[in-house]
This record gives sequence, structure tokens and C-alpha cells, in this order.
Amino acid sequence: MTGFIIRRTLSMLVTFIVVSIVIFLMMHSIPGGPFDGNEMPLPDNIRDRLMAQLGLDQPLYVQYLRYMWGALHFDFGVPYQSPGETVMGLVAHAWVPSLVLGGSGIIIGAPIGILLGMAAALNRNSWIDYVASALATLGLTIPVFVTSTLLILVFAVWLHWLPASGWGEPKRWILPILAYAAVPLATYARYARSAMLDTLNKPFVTVLRAKGLSERRIIFQHVLRNSAIPMVTVFLPMFVGIATGSIFVEAMFRVPGLGAYFVSSIEKRDYPLEMALMLLISMLFCISYLLSDILYALLNPRIRVDGSRR
Amino acid sequence: MTELATQATGLARPDQTRQHSPLYFAWRRFADNKAALGAGVVLVVLILMAIFAPLITGTGGNEQAFLTQSLAFPSGEHWFGVDDLGRDFFARIVYGARVSLGIGLSAALFSLVIGLPVGALAGYLGGRFDWVTMRVIELFSVVPPLLAALLLASVTRGGLWAIVLIAALFGWVNVCLLVRAQVKSFREKEFIMAAQALGASPWHVIWRHLIPNSVSPIIVGFVLAIPLAMMLEASLSFLGIGVQPPTPSWGQMINIGMNFIFFYWHMAVFPTLALALTILSASLLGDGLRDAFDPTLKGR
Repeated sequence: MTGFIIRRTLSMLVTFIVVSIVIFLMMHSIPGGPFDGNEMPLPDNIRDRLMAQLGLDQPLYVQYLRYMWGALHFDFGVPYQSPGETVMGLVAHAWVPSLVLGGSGIIIGAPIGILLGMAAALNRNSWIDYVASALATLGLTIPVFVTSTLLILVFAVWLHWLPASGWGEPKRWILPILAYAAVPLATYARYARSAMLDTLNKPFVTVLRAKGLSERRIIFQHVLRNSAIPMVTVFLPMFVGIATGSIFVEAMFRVPGLGAYFVSSIEKRDYPLEMALMLLISMLFCISYLLSDILYALLNPRIRVDGSRR
Repeated sequence: MTELATQATGLARPDQTRQHSPLYFAWRRFADNKAALGAGVVLVVLILMAIFAPLITGTGGNEQAFLTQSLAFPSGEHWFGVDDLGRDFFARIVYGARVSLGIGLSAALFSLVIGLPVGALAGYLGGRFDWVTMRVIELFSVVPPLLAALLLASVTRGGLWAIVLIAALFGWVNVCLLVRAQVKSFREKEFIMAAQALGASPWHVIWRHLIPNSVSPIIVGFVLAIPLAMMLEASLSFLGIGVQPPTPSWGQMINIGMNFIFFYWHMAVFPTLALALTILSASLLGDGLRDAFDPTLKGR
């Protein structure tokens, strides 16, 4: 097991370094620099001084190494769009709305999705099965900003029940949370259903029935436990959905969170902020990949033995 | 073959034991799936509308023919109303289908062009090539496609072809994995070994035996790549770094419509519904095809 963890960690580390190099190169191939805007033309010598001050005159690999060295110390530089604070400071206050809204989305969406998927699997081809499948397909295929538009239209514009956008009073959180909840709800409805169905069709369930166990005991003690394994691995794609969805939800509902800053950093060529956000997100993904791998190996001894993935 | 057998045994065989091809059974399973069938019909109608757009709309998608009636609500004359720049909104939605479907189809085609050979080679050769391919795919799985696409789109400043290429860059992974799995499972079959023993070159084995046997994952991969590409296009255009105006794109129209949502709701509703309907039918069609080709996966 220790060998497995070390091997996975090393491979993730390599992946992360390659990704960081790719991101760094991509970032620097975006045409134009931070001082190329036309509103305030700078004299050449001042621009050169600023470039030197920010280290932008060095060769690329020096910039990369210097940057990663700083990143190791949580020093991501100063965002060009608000020079009064550091990138870390900005991230520190921007992640709050994202976490509150996205977290509530998961907390509300995932259990409903799991219950819905379970109910669908236990009552196959009934109306609840069709409702669950329809919700799962809708939630997984329709882009978040489409759901958000419809939510705003129905609840804010036509019914006047809730405010359409903003951040502050909890009343304004309801619509974005609903928009966020669609993804975990759909993901879990679909995977809980298929995991339950898979287990229900296994021979051991027939044996349990033949032995005369009550249906309730079969489902809660045996089927549910065995269906939990695949559902652990689904957490990752769902997390990806939430993280990328946050860009659109926050743009839609005008929430000052990480997603909104990500978009404005791309528009304003804010290299330090953009780079820091991309690195943070890829690092989160790497870590959650690693965790789900390890968790999966813990739950499923077969993986541990032959060391292969999934 | 059947005739020869009948003659040899001298027995008349009843008609209903006629052999059906696997494709026939796949079609039967697909036709049983009402949602997928309906989605297929909707998609065909949408494609026909996109192709024959000039015939069903009064004006072109970009003609500001109704400037005096700007922002008019839907009526008998303008089914979806008029937009802020005096363009018939129905015409813009229909021309938007050209952009959305066109990008979806061409991105899926490019995904196939990259994913098919790489997947077939990785599955057949195994070893080092397979290892490298899988590590590259692992890199793609760590970076969320939409975020990376955002970066790439801001590097290339959007545009139709840039979006098609970006969508293909992330679409080939699925096709590659599907083809690789199929080729890998067929590589060890007896008929492949027989072909190899008869001296068939790897190229011949892949081209004549392995790829024809992978037709179903290829079709499924192709169809499922379409809604993903359309979603990517709509998302990028929504953020303003995708298809640039005046070319009509639903994502971009939703973004503009959001500014008018409190008073002129038609500006947001129609592109939203059009996008949802198209992506939904393309995904349902893809899911239906997957279930039809591989009944063991049914209901996943």
C-alpha cells in the first residue's frame, strides 16, 4: 500500500510539473503585454523599467523557475488589476463566495441525487426512474449558463420571488446555489442508479434472497455498501463540473468569486493572477485525483494487489 | 452461403431463421429507444433548417432590415421578435444553428482524425507508444477542458477555426480511449493471430480487421463529441472569446440577451432554448447509439 501511494504521488507530481510548464508557456504566448493598452501609452524607458521591475525581461526559463520558487512560498506576485494587494490576498477573499455557493450546491445536490438514483434503481421503469433519468440527462448535458438564464427568467423576472444577481444577503445566494446544485444532482442521480443496478444484478444478491433475508436488509446492508465504491470515484468529475461551472455561475449572477476573477484575469492579461488560479485549480485536481485513487485502493483491495488503475 | 447449405443438406429452411447482421439488431434496439429516436428526428430537422436557412427565413442573419422595430416582441411577422440592432431574431437563431452544428460536426470530425489512428496504434502496438499516449491523456484529464479552452481561446482570440481546433484538441481523448479499448480486446482474438500468422503486415491487420471491428465505438465517439464541441463553442462565445459578432452564435446571443432580460425577455429565451434543445438531442442520440451498439452498457 505504501508503495502504491508513493508511486501515485510521484506520478502526480510529474504530471503537475508538466502541466505547470504548459500553462506557463501558454500564458506567455498570449499576444500583448500588460503595458500594451492604448488608454495610457507609456514612454519606452518607463516601460522598460517596469518590465525589469516585474522580471518580465528575463529569459522564459528563468521566469518560470523564479515563479515556481515563489509559488512554493505562497508568493504569486501582485495582480496587475489591483496592485494594492497580493495574489494570495485576493484569492483569500475571492474564494469565500465560490466555496459558500459551490459547497452548498454539493451539499444540497449530492444527497438528493443519490436518493433519486437509488429510488430509480429500486423502481426500474417506473415514473420515478424516468424522472431521475430525465433530470440526470438534462443536468449533465445542458450548460450551466443555460440553467442559470432559465432560473433568472422564471424566479427573478417573471415571478419576482428572488433577486437576480449580486452577493451579500443570503437571499441572493438561492438562485446561484440552485444553478450549482444541478451538476452534483445529475451526476449522482446517474451514477447512484447505475451502481445500484449493477450490484442488484450480482449473483450474491440472488443468494441473499434465496437465503430469505428481508429486502430491506439486503438493500441497506449489502447492496448499498457495495454500490458505494463506484460513487466515490464520481466525486472527481463532479468536482471538475463545479469548478468550471463556477466561472459561468459567477459571471451570470455577478458574484465576486474565483471564477469571476479568472475571467477578468484573462480579459485583462493579468498573468500573475491567471497563472496562480490555473496552478491552484490544477493542483486541486491533482490532489483530488490522488485522493480518489488512494480511497479507491483502500475500498477495493483488488487494485492494491496488482497495482493497476481502475 | 445459406443457399449452399440448404442445397447440401437438401432441407428447406423456413424464412424466419434468416441471418440478421449485428447492425440490424443494433437498429432494432435503437428504434425501441423512443427518446433517442425522437432526439435523432429533432436533430435531422435542425440540420435541415440550418442547411436550408435562406428558404425558411425572410432575411439573412445579419441584415438590419427592421431598425425601426428594434426590440419588438414576438409577433406573427417576427416569430421570435426583433433584436436590439433591428435584425429578425428567428433568422438569427436559424443562422446560429449553422454555426453551432457546423462547429459541432467539424470538431467531431477532427477528433476522429486524431483519435482514431492514435487509439488504434496505441491499442495494437502497446508498449512504449501506448505508455506515452496514456500519459498524454492523463495530462489532459488533470486540466479541466473548459478552463484550458478559455486560455487557448484568449491566445488565439477566438474565431471559428480556432474553436473547432480547440474542441478537437479535447475531443480526441474520448475517441482515442474508446478505439484503444476495442482494438486492445480484439488484438488477442484468434482471427487476428491467424492473419498475423499468414504474414499480414500490422498496417493490414489494423486497417482491414481491427478498425472495421471498431466501427461501433467510432460512431459512438463521433456522435458524443458533437454536443461536447457545441457546448464548448457556446461557453466560449458566451464569455466573448468564441465566435465573434456579427456571426450569430447562440452562446453569444445569450450573453447579449442577459443585458436585456428584465424588459425584452425574448432576447435571452430563444437562444437558450435553441441551445438546450440541440445539445440535449445530440447527447440523447449519442447515448442511444451507445446503448444500441453495446447492450451490456444499457442504462449507464
